[in-house]
Order: sequence, then structure tokens, then C-alpha cells
Amino acid sequence: MSDALKQSLDLSMFWEYRAILWQGLIFNVLVFQFAASVALSVGLGAALLRVNRFLPARIVGTLHVELFRNAPDYIMLVWVHFVLPLLIGLVIQRRVEFHPFISAVIALGFVYSGYFAEAFRAGIQTIPQGNLDAGRAFGMSERLILWRITLPQVVRRMLPEALNLFISLFKATTIVSLIAVPDLMYNVSMVIQQEMRPLPLYTGAALTYFLIIFALSSTARAFSERWRQKILA
Amino acid sequence: MSDVPRIRIADVHKSYGPLEVLRGVSFDVHRGSVVSVIGASGSGKRTLLRCVNYLDPPNSGEIYIEGEPLGSRIDARGGRKPRSLAEINVMRRELGVVFQQFNLWPHMTVLGNVIEAPIRVRKLPRKDAIAYGEDCLRRVRLIDKKDEYPARLSGGQQQRAAIARALAMRPKAMMFDEATSSLDPELTDEVLSVMRELAMDGTTMIVVTHEMSFAREVSDRVIFLHAGIIEEEGAPAQVFDAPKSDRLRQFLSKYRK
Repeated sequence: MSDALKQSLDLSMFWEYRAILWQGLIFNVLVFQFAASVALSVGLGAALLRVNRFLPARIVGTLHVELFRNAPDYIMLVWVHFVLPLLIGLVIQRRVEFHPFISAVIALGFVYSGYFAEAFRAGIQTIPQGNLDAGRAFGMSERLILWRITLPQVVRRMLPEALNLFISLFKATTIVSLIAVPDLMYNVSMVIQQEMRPLPLYTGAALTYFLIIFALSSTARAFSERWRQKILA
Repeated sequence: MSDVPRIRIADVHKSYGPLEVLRGVSFDVHRGSVVSVIGASGSGKRTLLRCVNYLDPPNSGEIYIEGEPLGSRIDARGGRKPRSLAEINVMRRELGVVFQQFNLWPHMTVLGNVIEAPIRVRKLPRKDAIAYGEDCLRRVRLIDKKDEYPARLSGGQQQRAAIARALAMRPKAMMFDEATSSLDPELTDEVLSVMRELAMDGTTMIVVTHEMSFAREVSDRVIFLHAGIIEEEGAPAQVFDAPKSDRLRQFLSKYRK
């Protein structure tokens, strides 16, 4: 085995710095959590606009989806962090700066809201009209129908796709180090600068991400599938 | 009060674009009586039921539930004002609907389907809703399936669950929209016998049906709808045994084999 290869597989250094790397990973999880909440709520809003009876609402919803689905994560991140504060500053005539964490949550949340909107919309459109008629016939309000009849079914239907989106979003959190959010990758780079041994540290980071994502997604799938299958004839 | 009909359908018109589906339909349904609506497909039967609870609001005419107009409110000066959707929802819950396609909510158990509207719409305490819901499931002989999901039930069982769901709202009247038309022949009987029992218990019912023997046996009054108007109506014996109009005779001949 060549020295370089041996070195890149030697994870003792990664283990040595585990405390600081662990802190970084917590940032990944935090960015993921907040961005996922933004993506889900904004995505649901956009989906409801897209299936609205009123044309202007549908146009706004479609613009939202197309804009954010077609924007690369990285560009959005940089734009939200550096350009958006300038624009807001111009409008309110005051210097504005976003904390990197906030920029990361907004950028990733909105990019993924485009994808989630499409997943929600596809799910909403598969709910048979009769299901909604039954709700209306019993005097349920449109809001109640949305929360009690439409969404619980939509969530089950979109679950496999949503899990994939969550995984992509979690992976996407690794780019937030570019705007100095102290996540795992950021901390890895810091350690590398100190130790000058990038290979084992990058390998360790890659393995960590892989194991976490693999473990979470397989557990989520196993649990969700049983629950989901109940309603599907 | 007893002379106020439970449901009055007054000169209901409904068009979809240029297509006039209902051209002025009026009849009363009295408390405890069963009115069957028969007619060929396309005669407007289904639209009529959808107009009665405003799933498709009529273009003109009105529905009265115990004298109270469903789609409009009469203000102090006697003028009519259309009701808001929220007000219509309050009126609607008095009418239980059973759909041809059952329309059970697939993500809820049978009991979940039955107690949903009583809890969320009638604001019944959960305990009471469950107790009454289970009574309703006993009436349709489905209590042993209360924890199953609809996908695991036969069509006949699903339809009986849907009947229990409508009963659980304690409606002033039940409406059946071809409740057996999407069932296999061997499953229609279990649904019809439940409907028959409801009728004998004094439930006020409007039944849109293709089951002529059921209509003859159970109804107090039969209405034959043709091209959006009532072509003929009367007691079952009269409508089935001595039809006056040619169209009704023609229609009935298809059911006599």
C-alpha cells in the first residue's frame, strides 16, 4: 500500500479532534432542521397557491417553484448572504448583515421549498374529489378538510420523495462552510490548516456523513413504509 | 310545526355552461318519509342531490330544511341574502349523504371516519362521539370492523361504514346517491337491507336509485326525473303499476325482465 493511501485511511487524527468536529456536525443538524422547517412551510404555501382556483395565485406559486427549483444551492447561498442584505439595506437605508447561519437557513430553505412544493402539489392532486365532497357534505370547513383529510393523505403519499429531499437537503448543508457557518466541513478545514493532513480528515468527514445519512434514511424508510401501506389498497 | 316539510325543494334550476341539467324541480319530503328518485342516467338525479346540500349550488330556486332556506337568509326586512360558506356548512350538517363511491377517508379507521365530523364539526366530546359512533356501527352491523382501514373492507362493508358515518351526525334527513350502483350484485343486498331498516325506523330519506324493487317496497313517494324535470310522481304502486307517461313506461320496461 502506498503511503498516501495508508495515510488517508488512518482515521486516528479524525478521532483525536472529535470534540470540535462533533460541534460542527451539530451545526449541520441545526441548519438542516431549520431549513427543513422553512422548506416544508413555504413549500406547502407555494403548493396551495399552485392548486388555487385563482389564476394570479397559481402564477405566483409557479414562479416560486420555478425560481427556486432552478437555482443552484451554492449560488443561492452566496446571493442571500452577500447580495440580499445589500438590497434590503438600500430599501431601508441602513446597513444590513445576515448572520451566516440565517443566510444558510434562508437559502437552503427556499431552494428546497421549490422541490417540496412540487411534492405537495402532486400529492394534493391525487386526493379524489369524493374525499373532499364527503368532508363538505358533513359541514367541514375548507381549512378543516385541508388539515384533517387532504394533508394526512398527502404526507403519506409524498413520503418516499420527501425522504429523498430531506437526504439531499442534509447533504446540501455541507456547503454552508463556504459562508463561514462553523459546520463539520468548516471545522475539518480548520483542523487541516493546523495539521496539514487533509487526506484522513476528508475521508473521516465523508465516512461520517455517509454513516449518518445511511442510518437515518434506512430507519426512516423502515418505519414510514408500514405506516404508509395501511391506507393504500 | 308538523306540516312544515323536513326538506322542501323549490323550483331548483341548475346549468353547467349551456347545458341545463335541472329545469325547475320541486317536491317536499316529510318527516319520516322516504322519497325515491328514479330516472335514466343523465336525467339530473345526481345533480339534484348535489344541489340539495349545495355541493353544487343551484342557479335558482331554494332548498328549505324545516322551513329554513339553506342557501340564503331572510333578514329583518324580508329581503334575501345569500349565506356565507360557513353558514351553509352549518345547514349542511343536517343532511347525511351516502355517495355511490363511498368516499370514506382512507387514512382513518372505520370508527375514525364515523367520529370525525361529530367531533370536529358538531364539537361532540370524543367519548360521546365514540359511544354514538359505535351505536351507528352496530346498526349497520359493522362493529367488529371498527378498527380496520377502509382499504381492507369489501365494497358492501365500505358502504355500510359510510352509512354509519352519515348517521353519526344525527342528520335530519339521509340522502343516498345510487348507494348500491358501484357494488357487485351479491353485495347490494347487505346495503339495501340496512337502508330498509333505516326507513322502517322512521328515518327521513331521499334515495336516488336504480333498484326498482327497493324503491317500490320502501318509498312513500316515487319521483321520475326526465331531462331535468319531474315527468311523473306518485305513490309507488301508482308509479310502477299504472304509469301515465310514455317515458316512464319506456323507462320501466327496461327493468322488467
